[in-house]
Amino acid sequence: MGLVTDNLPGALLPLPGGGALLTAIDQVVNWSRANSLWPLTFGTSCCAIEVMMATGAARHDLARFGAEVARPSPRQADLLIIAGTIVKKMAPRLRTLWEQMAEPRYVIATGSCAISGGPFLYHSYTTIRGADEVIPVDVYVPGCPPRPEALLYGLLTLQKMIREGTTLARPGEVRKPVLAALPDGMTLHQVRAEIAELVQETATVDRAAAATVGASYASASRV
Amino acid sequence: MNATVATTLRARLDALPSQSLLGTQEYFVNMGPQHPSTHGVLRLVLKLDGETVHQVIPVLGYIHRGIEKICEHSNYRQLVHLTDRMDYLSALANNWAATMVVEKAAAMETNSRIEAIRTLVTELQRIHSHQLWWGVFGMDLGAFTPFFYGFRDREILTDVFERTIGGRLTMNYIQPGGVMHDIHPELVADVKAFLAVFKPRLDEYEALLSENVIVQERLRGVGVLTAQDAVALGATGPVLRASGVAHDLRKAEPYGLYGQVAFDVPVGSRGDCWDRYAVRMQEMRQSIRIVEQLLDNIPEGKHFLVKPAAKIKVKPGVWYSHLETARGVLGAMLVSTGGEAPYRVHFRTPNFNNLWAVTTTATGGRVADLVAILSSLDLVIPDIDR
Ligand code: SF4
Repeated sequence: MGLVTDNLPGALLPLPGGGALLTAIDQVVNWSRANSLWPLTFGTSCCAIEVMMATGAARHDLARFGAEVARPSPRQADLLIIAGTIVKKMAPRLRTLWEQMAEPRYVIATGSCAISGGPFLYHSYTTIRGADEVIPVDVYVPGCPPRPEALLYGLLTLQKMIREGTTLARPGEVRKPVLAALPDGMTLHQVRAEIAELVQETATVDRAAAATVGASYASASRV
Repeated sequence: MNATVATTLRARLDALPSQSLLGTQEYFVNMGPQHPSTHGVLRLVLKLDGETVHQVIPVLGYIHRGIEKICEHSNYRQLVHLTDRMDYLSALANNWAATMVVEKAAAMETNSRIEAIRTLVTELQRIHSHQLWWGVFGMDLGAFTPFFYGFRDREILTDVFERTIGGRLTMNYIQPGGVMHDIHPELVADVKAFLAVFKPRLDEYEALLSENVIVQERLRGVGVLTAQDAVALGATGPVLRASGVAHDLRKAEPYGLYGQVAFDVPVGSRGDCWDRYAVRMQEMRQSIRIVEQLLDNIPEGKHFLVKPAAKIKVKPGVWYSHLETARGVLGAMLVSTGGEAPYRVHFRTPNFNNLWAVTTTATGGRVADLVAILSSLDLVIPDIDR
């Protein structure tokens, strides 16, 4: 009983006569969940090299934290590490994968692409500006790409959240990291609206410039 | 298991009638976009009859980020950093291709120190990229050890890059008019230390995977790409050279300092998976040769000739230049109507053309061979979709 009583004070109430009363079964369950995460191998682009491969390899050794049993099938996984850009064509697939995963499931978004669109925030007509537009994200790991150490820290944070029972479960919930850093009086909604405006502005074609191009194209010397 | 047994086993498998007495049906299977062997989000629609592949139809666009369009909205400096994210395993070569075309368009000069640094780091990254490929190739064939070995040695080189460049993967180092920072004073010593470790390790790689009978049997005669097909598909890089065409832009149109160093271009003869494997293994040795020649001869001078803050303006016109990345020919095309931003940018990426080799080589083979073929093509999917 030492393991449980030492790690989870209050979870077990010793009764007179040698018995024990399990006061918080959730704590025991969460503690075991936190230490046996099975990630889904899901990498769409550059971040996958750092986050999925380098972190899993010998030097950074994800196995130290009990999360190395990467499963290619979503049905066997309970941790989705979004490594890379999500574009419009991929978004429904991401949603499907998440829905197929075993509950309770957790999501870590790694890299600026999965957080906000990253280098493709402006002017891209395909990138989803943040994976949390599609599925709920528990932990954000910034970087382009994040170092393997950063993912390890993100994983430890997630484990802490699982133990405390503060992970997100419902679709539509968003916990953006920028919220903490926002100045007083500014809302996430305003930031979104501004970004949408900028994206709209830059997505429109400059007709005047396009008209002159035909002429210069013809006169342009091929080098 | 010795070679003859496996050969007869394969022969026996191949001799099995594809249509059983009960009659079989063709069916479709989706491989990807979420599949561990497609190395990203490539989707292949397979037309199968049992284990036999009848047709492979690649479906693209699951990671199309619109890089070329974003380039139109960026100035000539900004667009370089987007190229990191296409073929992120050859980030420096990508930077260089974009830089090269900008320098050509804006008539910018470089000096021999800049060219030497560029050649050195790009060649190191060819090793870096092939190390990863080797590990993943082993993993795709069902052996997990190569993955750990490849990454173990790759991390040493990653540290070397990190010291000079500051990045581990998306480096953004080569800039129009120079390189971002001067090389770290310890770079030469670091690289020498790496080579001292890596050269014996390369022999270890060969002993582990190349001399393994199972690996040989799985690769020899599988996924044969004829020289004719390779040229017709526009395949480049190790994929083309494995088919026996000795085309390498480092030799054919030397850029950087490639004209001044001695190296060979390894070529294969049959164009099967084994040749593609062997060509890359040889290329690592050749890259080591190039690095060793450059290492002690980096000329003195400035590491940039144009201030990083200086605006670049380009006259109206069309420019193209290309170079050899770890995967093949990367071409960059620029259309300018004058001013500080391009009118159109297009990248001719090696993986896009190399991908189509799978449609001709995998048909008639088995599903397990398809995985070996895909891995031997060494595809980077964001480079295909851009
Ligand atoms: S955050 Fe950076 S490294 Fe990661 S997928 Fe996006 S562009 Fe690539």
